[in-house]
Formats: sequence, C-alpha cells, structure tokens
Amino acid sequence: MDRRSYIKSAGAAGVALTAAGCLGGGGDGQETIQIGSDIPYRPFEYETTDGELVGFDVDIAEAVFAEELGYDYEFVTNSFDTIIPSLNNENFRVIMSAMTINDERAEQVDFSDPYFTAYQTIVVRADSDISSTEDMRGVRVGVQKGTTGAAAAQTLKEDLDGELTINEYDQIPDAFSALLNNQVAAVVNDNTVSAEFVNGEGEGEVRFVEGEGAAAEEGENAPPYLTLTVENYGIAFRQDDDEFRQEVNDALATIRENGTYDEIYSEYFAG
Amino acid sequence: MATDTGGTTDHDRGVLEQLNDRTFRRLGVAGTSLFALAVALFIGYILLVRVDYDLLVNIIYPQFTFAFLRVIGIVLISSVLSVIAGVIVGLARVSRTRVTSSIAKSYIEFFRGTPLLFQLFVIYIGVPQLWSGSFPLQQFNYYAAVIGLTLNHAAYVGEALRGGIESIPDGQMEASRSLGMSYIQSMREVILPQAWRNSLAAIGNDQVILVKDTSLLTVLAIPELLSAFRQINSATFDAWTPIVLVAIAYLMITIPLGKVIRTLEERADPATHGGDD
Repeated sequence: MDRRSYIKSAGAAGVALTAAGCLGGGGDGQETIQIGSDIPYRPFEYETTDGELVGFDVDIAEAVFAEELGYDYEFVTNSFDTIIPSLNNENFRVIMSAMTINDERAEQVDFSDPYFTAYQTIVVRADSDISSTEDMRGVRVGVQKGTTGAAAAQTLKEDLDGELTINEYDQIPDAFSALLNNQVAAVVNDNTVSAEFVNGEGEGEVRFVEGEGAAAEEGENAPPYLTLTVENYGIAFRQDDDEFRQEVNDALATIRENGTYDEIYSEYFAG
Repeated sequence: MATDTGGTTDHDRGVLEQLNDRTFRRLGVAGTSLFALAVALFIGYILLVRVDYDLLVNIIYPQFTFAFLRVIGIVLISSVLSVIAGVIVGLARVSRTRVTSSIAKSYIEFFRGTPLLFQLFVIYIGVPQLWSGSFPLQQFNYYAAVIGLTLNHAAYVGEALRGGIESIPDGQMEASRSLGMSYIQSMREVILPQAWRNSLAAIGNDQVILVKDTSLLTVLAIPELLSAFRQINSATFDAWTPIVLVAIAYLMITIPLGKVIRTLEERADPATHGGDD
C-alpha cells in the first residue's frame, strides 16, 4: 500500500490513542500492537474525508487493545490478498480486516473467538431483472480479490455450471463503481459492507437481491436479503501467539458483557 | 580535510595504476562468475525445494495460459496503436507551427508526468461516470486497458521519435527543401528513415516497458499474469510456484521482443552508412 495512507492511518490511530489515554486505558510506554488491515473497507475500516481512521474494527481494536488490555496500537494497511503471508512475515502482530474465519485460513493463522457475523449477499442495479441465484446465469459479477465474496462467487459459478463471469477488483469500491458503470451486473460481498453502499452512495441506484438463503437454512435470525453463506469474523494471530490470543479473547468477552460491543455495533449497523 | 581527500585520491590512483587490462578482465570474470553462481544456487534452491510441481502443472492451464494469451493480445494491439499514435505525436512535437508543437508538448507532459496507474483509473472509473444513463460499453476494462496503454506509450514513442528527428542535422532538411522537395517529402524521404533508425532503440525499450505495464491491469479486473499470481497465492498461500510461472511468462514475451527490435535495428542500419554523424 502506498506510504501516505499508512502514515495517515497511523496518525489517526495515534489521535484515537491520545483520547484513549485520557479516558483511562493508560498504555503508556507499553508495547505497540500493530494491526494489519486492508483499508478502506467500509464500514469496518475507512478514513473520513478528514483523514481520520474509523470503522467497526477500529472501534473494537480501541476497546480491546487500548481500553481493556492497555496496549498502544496502530493500523498498518496491507492489501487483503497478501495479508496472511504478511502477518506470518511479522509485518504486524494481528489482522483485523473484517476477516472471515475459514479452514484454509485457519491452517495459516489462529483466530480469536468470532466478533462479528456476516452473510455473503448479492447487490444489483435497482432496475435489474435478477431476483434469484438462478437469474445470475450468464452474467458478470464483481468481487474483491482474495475475499470470501470472491469464493462465494466461485461456488455460485460452479452451481451455475460455469455460466458466470467473475471480475476481480483490488478493492470493493472499484467493484461498486463497476456496478454503477454497467461493467458488472452484480456484486457479491459481505452484507454489512454492501448495506453501507446500498443505503449510502448507491441509494436508489442499487438494491439487494432478496429471498431466503444460507442463513435461513441454518435457522439463524435471517436477514431479508438472499444470503449465499454465513460467516464469522475473527482477529487473526500468528500460530505461536496463543497467550496473546487468549488475552484478546477474554477482552472480547468482557466488552460483550459490559455493553461496549453493543454500543459500537449500533453505531455502525442500524439494523 | 583537504589533505585527507588528496591522500585518498592518490591512494586510489595508485591502485588503479596497478590495475592493468589483464587483471581488470580477470576481476570481471571472477566477479560475474561469483554472481552467476549465487544466482544459480538460489534458482536451483527455488526450483528444487520451493516449487510445488503438482500445483505448477495444475495452474499452467487454463489460468496461466489464458492470462498469458490475454497479455499478448493486449500488448499486440496497444503496441501497434501506440507506435502509430507516437509517430503522430512525434511529428506534431517537431512541427514549426507553434500551436501544433505546444499541444503535442502538453500531451507528452501530461502522459509522461502522471502515473499510468492513475491514467487507467481516470479512463476506467472516471469516464463512465460522465454518462448520464448506464454506460453502453460492456467489458470496458479491456477498452480502458488498450486506450490507457496506447495514450501513455504514444507519449514516450513520440518523444523518442522527436529525439531521432532532432539528431538529424538541420542541413539535411535545408538541402532537401532547396532541391525543391516539400516539407512532407523531405520528412518522408530524407529525415524520417534516418530518424526512425536513430530512435528505434528507444522505441523498442518503451515497447518492452509496455509489456511490463500490463501488470497494472490487475486493478482493472483483467485476469492477466499478476492477477493469476495473486489468485493462486491467496488460494494456496504458495508464493514461489506462481512466481516462477509469472517470471517465465513475462520473459517469454520480453526476450523475443528484444530480439525482434534488434533485428529491426540491424535492418534499418544501411550498409552505406551516411555521413550524418
């Protein structure tokens, strides 16, 4: 990633830290936890127009690392498709990047307890005829490289006997641009990130494909839109970092109990 | 301080004086051999230990083959277009008409002065937003790729050709004109054939860079070689198997291209070397 956004995010984390220091975490002189993240990925990690780093992951990091555990922390940007090798190369201590826990990744890293549940969903233009997965036959979909959205699109392609073309973009805003610019007919991506776009810049121009799906099949509290998969997000650690992982798991449990988690959740996700 | 510097220089000169041609050559052989040995050992280690040959065979077809063919296709089209456009830019650049030459100059300044990656985003994300309705072109990423590579490299080719044209002494143009040839005739018959030869090396260099610039197309969701690498790497976490394939694939394009350019250069170099230097 480019140097400027790194400096910016580090700076933003620094600002957040100063505030945390006043509130009572007090991790002065402590070790700084570097957090690898692919920024921007709204609403999990992104910069405001003022250059301040915000997002669900950022606030959870603040609550867990600074307030509960008293560490300093800083976000380091790293593109998502190389983020696991970068963690194992010790470029940073943990990954917080809306990362879904899955078996392949679990062979490379250890995950914390889940801190978020997401669904893979399909977003189409408002005037689109697509209303089910079967309608996706023969169309072109946009995804972000290396994400579980890309994997879900790949599975969908196999279900459709290969009659699906997948355009893989570097970052999710590029995929949404391509949707608006008529370059792809649909975007397969996490529900929350997509909802941010559907209810934000894309309002009136794009919509979710509705219907039941994986979430309903698993008997979960299913959202109204069609879900391709159900996924849990975790913080990723190197496999030799068990002690720290346990600390973080305890802190995650604490913020769920004391209401901090719900507060952060409702700040970013209305529903 | 001054004496120190003087001392060092004297010492250096002493060593240099002892260095006769033969020891210099031997040093060269020893140095390069050592380097080659280190590289060979490294490549041997990669090929014998790091590369997973089952995976390698698995990914050659279809992923890498299609990515490779796609790159070749894009390179062929953009290469031809950029050289044609570059000749126009170059001629405009040396024009004696102020308007033409300054427009050509601004064009070159912009396309050489901003990154190709940025230009690709301008075309792919910026241009479709200018449409009020839905953008009519499907698979615009391929158009954007060819347009971006062409516009960018036309600037470099134009600049290379300008260099070639300016290396021809003014006297030739003056002589041609005084023989009654028009500006166009003098350019076509006298100046350009020589200028072309002089700028071929620079143009060829630029075309090799064009091949490598296709790696940027990964951001336009074009499944080219680097995308294939990233996809395999993020799926398998194996770095070296796709790295080896990517390296081979690019070299399979750039080395023959280099040969073609050298042949063209030789062919453009007439046995009767004019006294133009």
